[in-house]
Amino acid sequence: MLIPRRVKHRKQHRPDRSGAAKGGTRVVFGEYGIQALEHSYVTNRQIEAARIAMTRHIRRGGKVWINIFPDRPLTKKPAETRMGSGKGSPEWWIANVKPGRVMFELSGVAEPVAREALRRAIHKLPMKCRFVKREVGEA
Amino acid sequence: MSEVAIPVEPRNEFGKGAARKIRRADKVPAVLYGHGTDSRHLTLPGHALMIALRTPNVLIKLKGLEGGDELAIPKGVQRDPIKGFIEHIDLLLVKRGEKVNVEIPVTVTGDVVAGGLLDQQLIQVAVEAEATHIPSGVEVDITGLEVGTAVLAGDLKLARGVSLVADAETLVLHVIAAPTAEQMEGEVAVAEEAEEAETAGEEAAEEQPSA
Repeated sequence: MLIPRRVKHRKQHRPDRSGAAKGGTRVVFGEYGIQALEHSYVTNRQIEAARIAMTRHIRRGGKVWINIFPDRPLTKKPAETRMGSGKGSPEWWIANVKPGRVMFELSGVAEPVAREALRRAIHKLPMKCRFVKREVGEA
Repeated sequence: MSEVAIPVEPRNEFGKGAARKIRRADKVPAVLYGHGTDSRHLTLPGHALMIALRTPNVLIKLKGLEGGDELAIPKGVQRDPIKGFIEHIDLLLVKRGEKVNVEIPVTVTGDVVAGGLLDQQLIQVAVEAEATHIPSGVEVDITGLEVGTAVLAGDLKLARGVSLVADAETLVLHVIAAPTAEQMEGEVAVAEEAEEAETAGEEAAEEQPSA
């Protein structure tokens, strides 16, 4: 499971949810990819589940790239706790994904296989996504 | 390579308000520069530009400019990441016979050898070509390439009059051994075991009474 090796601050503010992705909006490593259409926090478990779903489907051959990393901690206060007494304990590691971001890429398989593999992976993710192909030749 | 003639209008209003107004009218704000001239702000028709940009490094003939028609190539295209419409375009002035540095797409033909996996590192390669004769791309035939074979930028067969700008030793693609079904299953199993161990650890920590 993806997790940072070391962080400067154990507890952070919640990341900004506004705006669209500024970079990483095109497929650059593989031939096919998953592009986010909405903003969401994607946990390391969801990333792993999506990776396993697509790897299981392609079975052999193929290469997978994960372009996002869950580098932000989210905290949670225990159930039935009164307010106050400081910030809760870190509970999840999330990647702050904004619309347009290409999160996963895949290559080395036929397009129908890639479509199905990425469709299965999309079901493991918390936001609306779409299948995208690499476009070449644009400045 | 054929030219695409696009009528242009000079642009006198700047800023996001004016740019949004232009986009609402199905037009694209643009800037034209090159040859040491002052940059010129233009407005281009959106649909015609979108059709023209389907060709990589298309040569655009800008009609209706002050001082006569000019030739330009797209230098930078900004698109909306979700809807894909063109938000802005940078155009670079070129002259007939002039050599320009551009990136042309690398297209792969043929099938990978059985048990191999194609790892394409470079999807575009920088070349120097005559502005009016920019190749649409360069093809690499991978038929019969054994596992472990690499194609470098210097191995690409470029058209006459086109020279490589990128380092000749740059890796374009190589054929690697494809992971077997067992290897991939093993990887998934390891990930699942790690997840189960982590979940068990969390549950044990929750069950322990807090001091």
